[in-house]
Amino acid sequence: MTDPRPMVLVIEDEPEIRQFLRTSLAAEGYRVAESASGRRGAIDAGSHKPDLAIVDLGLPDMDGVDLIRRIRAWSPMPIVVLSARVHEKSKIEALDAGADDYVTKPFAMGELLARLRGAMRRAVRPAAAAVLVLHDATIDLERRRATRAGRDVHLTPIEFRLVAALAKHAGLPVTHRQLLTEVWGPTHANDTHYLRIYMKQLRDKLEADPLAPRHFLTETGLGYRLVVED
Amino acid sequence: MGYFWALMMVAACTAAGLAMAPRFDLVNIAMVYLLAVVFVAARYSRGAAVATSILAVAAFDFFFVPPQGTFTVEDIQYLLTFAIMLAVGLVISGLAAHVRRQAEAQAALNVEAETERIRSALLASISHDLRTPLAVMSGASSSLAERGERLSGEEREALAKSIFAQSRELSERVAKVLQMTRLEAGSMTLARDWASVAEIAGSALRRQRERLAAHRVMVEVPDDLPLVKVDATLVEQVLENLLENAAKHTPAGTVVRVRAMREARELVVSVEDLGGGLPEGDVDRVFAKFSHGAIGGPAGGIGLGLAIARAIVRLHGGRTWAERLAMGGTAFRFTLPVEEMPAIPAETAAAAP
Repeated sequence: MTDPRPMVLVIEDEPEIRQFLRTSLAAEGYRVAESASGRRGAIDAGSHKPDLAIVDLGLPDMDGVDLIRRIRAWSPMPIVVLSARVHEKSKIEALDAGADDYVTKPFAMGELLARLRGAMRRAVRPAAAAVLVLHDATIDLERRRATRAGRDVHLTPIEFRLVAALAKHAGLPVTHRQLLTEVWGPTHANDTHYLRIYMKQLRDKLEADPLAPRHFLTETGLGYRLVVED
Repeated sequence: MGYFWALMMVAACTAAGLAMAPRFDLVNIAMVYLLAVVFVAARYSRGAAVATSILAVAAFDFFFVPPQGTFTVEDIQYLLTFAIMLAVGLVISGLAAHVRRQAEAQAALNVEAETERIRSALLASISHDLRTPLAVMSGASSSLAERGERLSGEEREALAKSIFAQSRELSERVAKVLQMTRLEAGSMTLARDWASVAEIAGSALRRQRERLAAHRVMVEVPDDLPLVKVDATLVEQVLENLLENAAKHTPAGTVVRVRAMREARELVVSVEDLGGGLPEGDVDRVFAKFSHGAIGGPAGGIGLGLAIARAIVRLHGGRTWAERLAMGGTAFRFTLPVEEMPAIPAETAAAAP
């Protein structure tokens, strides 16, 4: 009989951090496997087939981003990255390489658990929901209709595409590069100003307070995160 | 450059000498050349001084020492004149070089002393700022580990929460120290990209919402504010540091207002508080930290936050200043340059209402 508890593989070289993750994750009902190095982690990810991997970006023997690419080459397993402030740039690279989310050290356990749940949800979700509910706004991506407070809201085709691109990773961060490539195409991967303008339009149309958004959140220097109600 | 002047000075002296020749002794004409040697030696390199000496000797010999128009020397005593000109050139250029070196060394010493002063002020404030959270953490955690069973559930939770809060605080302070070090070392490179100040403000307020929970926060950003090409992560940090400063220095319930507006070729971003937190003397000290980057004093960690904010803004080519508001309260302001933004292709459907 197989154990129904989801298995988390922790790839982290610091024994103290592994220890508190082991204790805290076990208390939350996860099975925990540990790899003390990047090389070991790449092997363990294949042999254990975990339901989720936590990858530290500061591994001494291997670039965490490379490790994520290696795992992504054969598996869609959810990956959450542990990053320090000094890894700001590799955090973006990790997300572009296929990591689902990140937490910055030091982090609160509640924060990490929320990220793990979000990443797992992405893995089991068959496709992006066709209808998004954002507080008092709804967006029907299939029929291309949007309403706010019961009234029709006009969204342009690009605005719809942008919402769809964010919704595919609902609850998770999406980098500027990912959004620009998906909505405008690879030749516009660096035209961040497009995103700034269109995100403002979306917020103006769909957020109750565009200056303090609750759904179209800014991940400064990194990208955006769409938060939808469950 | 020195050699050019060597040539020019000798030519000028020769002209002057020719004008003087009918009425002055050769010795006095030699003095004019000596002046050229002194001038070049004092200002330029030793090589230029030697060149001037040699040129001066040659010109003096050719134009003035009989027989004129040749380099032949009839009277042996002029050889002494030549030797002295050369010697004066060497001595003066040596002295001048020495003085220049001393001035440079003194300037380097001054910079070093200033750096050292900042560093020790930084260290003093750091060690104080780091020790307090560490003391709380080690005290609270040892209580939990050694005598946890004697504490009530509520007490245990309170201790654990204070450890968490203090570790966050400590982590932020360490990050600030590291960042200040990098900023001072000039090793920070900006990842500039198009960014919206409205977005950055929203994100900064979101991240600082716990600190500002007891304040009334207002945001005033005009709808047509242009985008700026900045390192958004760093600019967000500027705003966060200013918000943190406002939260620390103003009583609960007061208004903290974030504003941005365009003024000519720049954006002016402000964090304003409407009220009465800082005592008079402190206002000046905190202002100085923000305006001039002065570090130190008992306000330690706070000063560091403002100094970092200032350094980041300067790196972007902006200015920082603080001012008292007429109706009471203070404003911390900074500017960001506005650049021309490349056009965005219009979406045909975007025009529809």
